[in-house]
Amino acid sequence: MSAEVGVIAVDGGELPLGGGLLALVRPALDQLEPGGMLAVLSRSRGVREDLPTWCRAERHEYLGVEETANGLDRHLISRGRFSVPYETAGDNNLLESRDGRLTAADVLNAAPMPSRADPITGFAPRGARIESGGPSYPFILNERDRVAPPEVAVLYDQAVSSQWDATSDIPWSKAGPLPADLERALIQIMTFLAENELSALYLPSRFIAQIHPAYAEVAMFLATQLADEARHIDVFLKRARLCQRGLGISSVTTSRSLLSLLQTEDFTEAAFLLSVLGEGTFLDLLSFIERYAPDEATAELVRRARNDESRHVHFGLTHVRAGLAADPTLYGRLEAVVRRRAGALRGIDGVPAPLQDALTVLAGRSTEDRALARGHEAFRELLETMHLNRIRRLGYAGFTPEQAELISELHTPNFM
Amino acid sequence: MRNDKSILLGAVAYDPKVVTIWEGIREHFQSEGVALDFALFSNYERQVEELLRGHIDIAWNTPLAHVRIKQRTGGESVSLGMRDSDRDFHAKVIVRRGAGITSLKELEGRTVAVGSSDSTQARILPLYFLAQEGVDLRRLNVLAFDTQIGKHGDTGTSELDVLKALHEGHADAGTIGDLVWVNEQAAGHVDSGRVEVLWTTPGFDHCMFDAHPVISPDKIDAFQRALFAMRWDNPKHRQLLELEGLREWLPPREEGYNSLEEALKQQK
Repeated sequence: MSAEVGVIAVDGGELPLGGGLLALVRPALDQLEPGGMLAVLSRSRGVREDLPTWCRAERHEYLGVEETANGLDRHLISRGRFSVPYETAGDNNLLESRDGRLTAADVLNAAPMPSRADPITGFAPRGARIESGGPSYPFILNERDRVAPPEVAVLYDQAVSSQWDATSDIPWSKAGPLPADLERALIQIMTFLAENELSALYLPSRFIAQIHPAYAEVAMFLATQLADEARHIDVFLKRARLCQRGLGISSVTTSRSLLSLLQTEDFTEAAFLLSVLGEGTFLDLLSFIERYAPDEATAELVRRARNDESRHVHFGLTHVRAGLAADPTLYGRLEAVVRRRAGALRGIDGVPAPLQDALTVLAGRSTEDRALARGHEAFRELLETMHLNRIRRLGYAGFTPEQAELISELHTPNFM
Repeated sequence: MRNDKSILLGAVAYDPKVVTIWEGIREHFQSEGVALDFALFSNYERQVEELLRGHIDIAWNTPLAHVRIKQRTGGESVSLGMRDSDRDFHAKVIVRRGAGITSLKELEGRTVAVGSSDSTQARILPLYFLAQEGVDLRRLNVLAFDTQIGKHGDTGTSELDVLKALHEGHADAGTIGDLVWVNEQAAGHVDSGRVEVLWTTPGFDHCMFDAHPVISPDKIDAFQRALFAMRWDNPKHRQLLELEGLREWLPPREEGYNSLEEALKQQK
């Protein structure tokens, strides 16, 4: 609703000032530009005394009262110049539902994001009329190109419609029983996955509070990502605990790797490390586990987790791609942050041993010689697939083949 | 007379927020390159004496303190500025519905609640204006709420006491300042089924920055420059202005105190 200079009239009937009249007068004045006129019709005698005083208190100009032919008072007020809300930038296009559906992407089209967000608009929804003189909010992600990839609303819509139930959507009755070796391997894998997904729950949550609410769709998407991670942690631990043998090992390698991930201070760098490299690598890991899953429950839960993760990877890729397109210096920063993480694992070559062994046993389906040899071969292929797919994703994001090769190599021991 | 270059301002600590206000204004003055400090007093009588002795350069005064300073300096004190809300203040005569009072004359013989004896808006001027209107004050059964004497009605406590007495039926009518009346209504604290406004007094002006007669012109210039630089749409300033109850600082004017001077003469 846009403000106007002009004349508006409201009929206050017999309402006294303190008995409801203000609920007519205040919103009417809010429709006016400074200097715009409001006529207040009233039958209340007290309003003659109180309306001029209220105008003084609110710095509107009370112009006087006249009696109309039918005995009503007609008070005239000129809107004062203080506390006039201003229109926030952004064109508002028509919003319409289609076939009874209304998506976040439709809303984003109707109310586009500003290229820069003003810290004083705070939590006001995009397009709200902002009263001036408000406090400045400490959001530091205030530029669209650094925060909000164009596809974010579409990804949010997909995420919301793809939510599933960790209690009943997994065929839990079809978990096991498994031979002891295979069971131990599965427990180790599920422990590793849960530990990594916990880091994926914590890292994005650090950035939500930095995102200017003008880009709320990004925060909303990240909220779905957090819900996804929560569900993954839930199902991985349920599967492990169904084995009744306790959990597996959390290695120092994994712990150091995830700490170096958590210590990332920049949103784009975090999206790159977590979603493009980490979750991207996990897509191949989850495919591998699904392929060699020892039972239906395990296959289903990793399949569902992988679907969710592919959305996170997509978000990370579009985010980084948009960032690189807007700011070429980002290449160097992203390479540096990968080097920093690699430095945290210096001296450690390859994947955490407990995980490597568990994946080998899982793929071999037993601990017999030939089975283990097959499993080992499958594991080596997995590493190669991960590497090639990382290079492919990095290429999509905008890296040269040489940069992609280097970054993928550096990332290898981190997995997530 | 103080001869150091910083301005020392006096204010009365009628509420803890006074510290917040003047710390904020001191900081703002600093950012404008003006050295200002403040001293808090517990009552306006002391503040007036300290200004007259030259222990402070400027006093943030109620209308009563302002008029006294003017009288004691023979009109030589320097007025520096006021709030927009200090201009065209009014007092209200509020009546209890059902008390059957429809004219000022009918106040005679009735219980009329009034604020503190040193409150310009809740006692001194409404009674003065009622007398001007021909009401015989000796025939009022005055119910006085003499709370917070020395604060000159700044706290508004006695005005809320007046409203309470009216709501509870202990008084038939009462006198309070116009801002308390509309603000209490806007906040939903007034039962319009029980009380209503009967009359609005003529306008008068409220607080004023008073400077000692021999303050240096430099201090006057610096003070006014920094004061008038405060803006409602600046978030830092706005918080202070809200606490102090104004949208903008305005230059001084004297004609708004004539009625109070007259009322004080008659009290003698």
